[in-house]
Amino acid sequence: MTTVQAPKTSVNRSSGPRYEFRDRIAAIPFFGISLTIVAVVLLAPFAYTLIRSFLGRGDEGGFVGLDNYVKVFNDPFLLKSFANTIIWALGALVIPVALGLGIAVMTSSMKLGAVIRGFVILPYALAGTVVAIIGNMMFTTEGSVNQVLHAIGLTAEGEGIQWLLYWPLNVIAAILISSWQSTGVVVVLFMVGLQTIPRESLEAAALDGADGWRRFKDIIFPQLKATTAVVVGLTITNALRAFDVIWVLTKGGPNRSSETFALSMYRQTFLLLDPGVGSAIAVVLTIIVVTCSWIYLRRQIGNES
Amino acid sequence: MNKALRPGIVLRNIAVLVLSLIWLAPTYLILVNAMQPVADAGNGPAWFPSGFAFFENLAAVWETSPFAETMLNSLMYAVGGAGLAVLFATISAFGVVVMPVKRPKVWFWLIYSGTLLPLQVFAFPLYRAAATEGIDLYDTKWILIIVYTALCIPFAFFVTRNFMVTLPPEVAQAAKLDGAGWWRMLFSIYLPLVRPAMVAGFVFQFIYIWNELFFGISLTISPENSPVMASVAALSGQGAVAQTPQIMAVSLVASLPAVAMFLIFQRYFTTGLTSNLG
Repeated sequence: MTTVQAPKTSVNRSSGPRYEFRDRIAAIPFFGISLTIVAVVLLAPFAYTLIRSFLGRGDEGGFVGLDNYVKVFNDPFLLKSFANTIIWALGALVIPVALGLGIAVMTSSMKLGAVIRGFVILPYALAGTVVAIIGNMMFTTEGSVNQVLHAIGLTAEGEGIQWLLYWPLNVIAAILISSWQSTGVVVVLFMVGLQTIPRESLEAAALDGADGWRRFKDIIFPQLKATTAVVVGLTITNALRAFDVIWVLTKGGPNRSSETFALSMYRQTFLLLDPGVGSAIAVVLTIIVVTCSWIYLRRQIGNES
Repeated sequence: MNKALRPGIVLRNIAVLVLSLIWLAPTYLILVNAMQPVADAGNGPAWFPSGFAFFENLAAVWETSPFAETMLNSLMYAVGGAGLAVLFATISAFGVVVMPVKRPKVWFWLIYSGTLLPLQVFAFPLYRAAATEGIDLYDTKWILIIVYTALCIPFAFFVTRNFMVTLPPEVAQAAKLDGAGWWRMLFSIYLPLVRPAMVAGFVFQFIYIWNELFFGISLTISPENSPVMASVAALSGQGAVAQTPQIMAVSLVASLPAVAMFLIFQRYFTTGLTSNLG
């Protein structure tokens, strides 16, 4: 496993200032190549979006101050989209983290644990597009989920739940199928976290008779706190950025009811041709995502210094 | 009392069994429905196949949609984008880790910041720039190669750099005494050592690019340049004529390269993923 150690790698501190200066110049193309590409293709567009969010509609919109931001929070469609974004951040966080933690802990001492974890991890390699297509097959009104509900007698013939047609069920369906995909990553990360728990502390607990749930609550979980912070940060930022699954499953509809900010930005910019408001949505989304990333980056930064 | 019969263990085993079934169900359903003959695909997906029509289902789409062509496009994007990104990232990781750079942390965060921003932030400016006269990159293969490479550099850089800081500094000192220049030191000494991290980065980014849809539909439109997921997504859209079994067969084939990559290199995949835990 790769772990980050504080870099102590200045190779030739002792070889004199003149050499060091020359080597510093020599290093510029090395880190410069990635930096240039990232700056031109990613950071410059980000700056453009930031500026664009203060300009009006069309090419001669001019500076409009915070108008676009005000529009974002006055448009009923976008308000609903904002609410959906929050629902996503919570739902697509809690479900994969809870299930992933549960699966990792429960299977860690099972004989067939690795096989079962394999089932859970495999969907990670699937495209959001394919996940949405599977989701559509399962959640459409004649779909597999309703077939199961009918078979076990929870719904009557011809009265299947219309998962994809109404809010908030369409948002929930999208979150469920997306969780099916994203839980595997959580399991992998928690498995690594579990391996760092000293065997002695688990054995001591077993001798004490601390069993099952209590052993998990008192001994295992407290030692997974650091892992949990990373998992929560990664999962929530991925949930906020989710585009493909929602786009292919519902196109954000019907009537924009299942849209999140990730989709609203696309629709507002490319379909409604209003890049000012589209950019404002992107900036708000960025603020939320970067704030949430802080949850796990804080640790990274702590390690660096 | 027999250990296997303790209520806690029984409860745990039941929970794991139920979760396994839930996780297998969608995979099972896509397999069954991909082979279901179109004629038998009545109301709703099947739970048991009534025949084996997988190749007929695939052929129906293969002949009428640009699916095959977009598979080749994606192969090029995934190999090219991931390959270039890992190469550039490794060169830069060497720069900030091994070479005596001032403020390496600043360069690290500038390059890494690319992964923190939501993709939606880049889409419109890239589209505008690509569509500008004189640049003319909208709906070309070049724009996606460039954008995918750039999108993959930050994480590949993160993984290779984290690996490089674990190498002992004596490696560079020894090479220095031998009189090796920086480029030679990188290519003949460091590259072989960093290979596991490079493979991990490549596998990750290959899967990411192969599965990507958002930039595919924002920056290209014609089948000769679109990635595979754009043509798969188009099949399931409103007004699309493909039948469920045909869509499932195509989805299955479109998933194979990324799934194969994942299964073959699973060990590296875990390495890449857990570098987040640093």
